[in-house]
Amino acid sequence: MECPSKREDSSEVLISYVEGSLSPSAQIAFERHLEACGRCRELTAAQQELWAALDTWAPAELSADFNERLYERIASEESSRPKWAERLTKAGLAWQQAVPVVAACAALMVVFLWRGPGTEPGVYFGEEAVASQGRGPQIEQVESALEDFEMLGQLDFRSVAESALRKKI
Amino acid sequence: MGYGTGILFGAQPSWDARVNYDGTGPVSIDQDAVLMLRVREGDQASFGVLLQRHRRPVFHFLCRMVQNQAVAEELAQEVFLRVYRSRSTYEPTAKFTTWLFRIATRLALNSLRDGKKEKLQDSLEEETPDGTSRQLPDRGRTIEQEMMYQARLREVREAIEELPAKQRAAVLMHKYDDMEYSQIARVLRCSDSAVKSLLFRAYESLRFALAHLV
Repeated sequence: MECPSKREDSSEVLISYVEGSLSPSAQIAFERHLEACGRCRELTAAQQELWAALDTWAPAELSADFNERLYERIASEESSRPKWAERLTKAGLAWQQAVPVVAACAALMVVFLWRGPGTEPGVYFGEEAVASQGRGPQIEQVESALEDFEMLGQLDFRSVAESALRKKI
Repeated sequence: MGYGTGILFGAQPSWDARVNYDGTGPVSIDQDAVLMLRVREGDQASFGVLLQRHRRPVFHFLCRMVQNQAVAEELAQEVFLRVYRSRSTYEPTAKFTTWLFRIATRLALNSLRDGKKEKLQDSLEEETPDGTSRQLPDRGRTIEQEMMYQARLREVREAIEELPAKQRAAVLMHKYDDMEYSQIARVLRCSDSAVKSLLFRAYESLRFALAHLV
């Protein structure tokens, strides 16, 4: 067996041996090597002592009322949340799902606010209406945008997200 | 592959899931992720189960990281508060414990950086918060043995404290939470080789610092 202390990954072998995670064959090979290598024996003994020292560190115990205090904080947070935030949470509307909605709304806003060269926003009557042909959004464009809005409103984002998750899993 | 029996991480088999793509072989299921998905659906009891199961490991990790029991409890509370807050958007993209310890580590690192740590010296003279003298637990040791034990413990804690924060986190997760390199890497958001490097340097520093205890 090549001397682990001469390898870059010497610590990995050493640590694995001390924590007992080497495979049985690797462990036998390493122990055989230890019989012949003073350097590795030193390092192994030092790591074993370190492990034993770290084992002495028993942490404190949790307070008896830890859970109670946590639930109090949760209840306090829940009761102080605004209703609209609660509705959003219940609807499970994650921001990731909201992004396409926001993007679609932004696109529709662009359609509504689009002005070609020389156009003025506004409503035109009579001769002005005729003269405004080609200026500002046309009736057909507005109707098309309204249909798109209606379609967006009928989409069930939650089921779309769940469906995507099932496909992902 | 539904939530009823468990979450199989077939697409990411490097932790816990031992899925063979031909459908054979043992399969490991993250029960904690299943419970968290139930919490997402409104099952409060499942949150209670997760809390009971993980509160001690998280607290002990934080205790050793910040070396202050009061701060560690506060941080542990914050960990589970954040878990609860995130319930509606929870997605099992990693092991639950990876996510949990990622939150804990981030909070601990922030706390250390913000200097909220106050060292609690576990000495005989120190008073408890309510003003009474601290009584050492009876561990079957003589006074002299107990003092040597306390001195050794102090050395260990100081040596850990001397480690850079990320090395400290890696050592604690590796030694006390039995995490594999890959999971520690996910918690710390670095590569497996970076974790090994962190750990090996940390252990080398600790061996040197505690050599006189041998």
